[in-house]
Amino acid sequence: MYGARVLSVDVEVDRREFTVRAALEVADGERVALFGPSGAGKTTVLEAIAGLVTLRGHVSLSGRVLTSTSEHVDVPPWRRQVGLLRQDPGLFPHLSVRANLLYARSAREDELAELAAQLDIAGLLSAMPARLSGGQRHRVALGRLLLAHCDALLLDEPFASLDAALRRSLTALVKDISSERMVASVLVTHQLADAQAFADRLAVIDEGLILQIGAPDEVVLRPASRRVAELVGYLGFVPAGGAPGSAAGVVAGVHPDRVIAGADPDRGLVVTGTVTAARPSGASWEADVLAGDAAFTCRLPSRPVAQLAVTVLDPPYFAADGVLQTPGQHIRSA
Amino acid sequence: MSIAGAAIIWIALLGPVITLITRMSPGDIWSALTGAGDLDPLITSIESGLVTLGVLLLLCTPLAWMLARDRLPFPRIWEAGILCSLLLPPLVIGLLLVFMVGPYTWVGTVLDWVHQSATNTFLALVIAEVYESAPYYVLGARAAFASVDTGLEQQAGLLGDRPGRVFRRVTLPMAAPGLAMALAVSWARAIGAFGAVVIIAYHPFGIPMQIFTTLQETGLYSALPYALVLLVVALPLPMAAYVWSARAERRRRG
Repeated sequence: MYGARVLSVDVEVDRREFTVRAALEVADGERVALFGPSGAGKTTVLEAIAGLVTLRGHVSLSGRVLTSTSEHVDVPPWRRQVGLLRQDPGLFPHLSVRANLLYARSAREDELAELAAQLDIAGLLSAMPARLSGGQRHRVALGRLLLAHCDALLLDEPFASLDAALRRSLTALVKDISSERMVASVLVTHQLADAQAFADRLAVIDEGLILQIGAPDEVVLRPASRRVAELVGYLGFVPAGGAPGSAAGVVAGVHPDRVIAGADPDRGLVVTGTVTAARPSGASWEADVLAGDAAFTCRLPSRPVAQLAVTVLDPPYFAADGVLQTPGQHIRSA
Repeated sequence: MSIAGAAIIWIALLGPVITLITRMSPGDIWSALTGAGDLDPLITSIESGLVTLGVLLLLCTPLAWMLARDRLPFPRIWEAGILCSLLLPPLVIGLLLVFMVGPYTWVGTVLDWVHQSATNTFLALVIAEVYESAPYYVLGARAAFASVDTGLEQQAGLLGDRPGRVFRRVTLPMAAPGLAMALAVSWARAIGAFGAVVIIAYHPFGIPMQIFTTLQETGLYSALPYALVLLVVALPLPMAAYVWSARAERRRRG
């Protein structure tokens, strides 16, 4: 499916709470997002690639072995040609924007000018980093990595502290540039929307383990397990129904954004329940619903009534052991 | 009210300097410093102060960096050692130095082999000044290095710089204002060192010893020109360091 694997990672890193075990391959120009809750081990994976932590396993980039415990290879960070962009853009405060951009290597004036124009920082080259806004600092930091001609871009929640609009525009910019320059990129984030907006593939990580890797839509609509479903935003699980043939303990995942008001059995699982709480949420309403013993949350276009029937659109079904049921294994019920 | 209170304290602290300046006339200074050999204490002080700064830079800068970066095992013990030398009264340091590097110690014996001595020599003066000023430099330099974000050093490494180059291009320039201030304070301590000096390096005379002997031999008023000279020699470096640090900070703010 993918061409030559430019970045190959298969590592184990011991942390105090658990061991991070990650196997990942990223092709030329491919963008992978590592998504998971805080403390799941996402940043550790990036640091393993960058050579900043002690690990067991193997990391290679563009055909070069960077770390291999079996071959006793451990290339130091300064020879890895890996760019790491963190939440703090890490501009050198004693150097101008121009000197920051040219820190890793000198560049022709036209190359610098072209990149500065692309990043919209052409007018800031003589400014000091302290004078820049948050977004401008990240643009300069990104430009610095690009001029360094890194073989891989590692993005550790770089835009998390910025407002949503700026985050979107910078994410789009990085996406365009990494595709255009065919750089393998790995984004770490705990914001699902950011991961979806950026990545060709989404890897869900929890307590040091990658639980699922796939296309963002596939991961969100068909989470491999209940835990993945919880992580990607499913806020409740309801019994699959009492129809003949339904296996005991099978539940349907309810994503709050994939619920419509009213009963439409052709489009999904119909659930009736009692609204226990309702609150405005943007342009819609968020309701907590109790259906039998199961509780879930959904978003509806108008204020919900006390007793309601909703349709959960094409939900994923999970067996009693939490594993996703393949289509046909579950029973839809009205 | 609070500004007035602060002003009173400020003027009181500056009082000795103001008194010194108002007590002196240019003629007094000229006559005190134009006799044969009268500039020798000043030259001795400047030379020993500069050698002391060199020793501090060379030996104490790596120690300060290692303390700032937790590169030493049991860091609290290292810090306690430095604080101990800071808290020892200089006179006590001088006394103990005699027992440590004096002529009847193994250090004294070794120095004697190369026809050197660590008492009443220029070397002794430098040793006394190093002991009196080193803790100020180490603590100041450690704070300067600690103020440099290690994330920036890591970033420089990922951009292709080896550790030595990271130190030269990032750590040192960023710590420089703090290092300059630490060095300036150490300079003032070294050039004004007296407690340890009077015990271990009575000769050759630096300015503090000149003030002391003049005070004993010819009285308070005769010592004042040397006090002014000491002030004039000791102050410019700290002042320059302060101005340079402030300018560096302004430059970073753009």
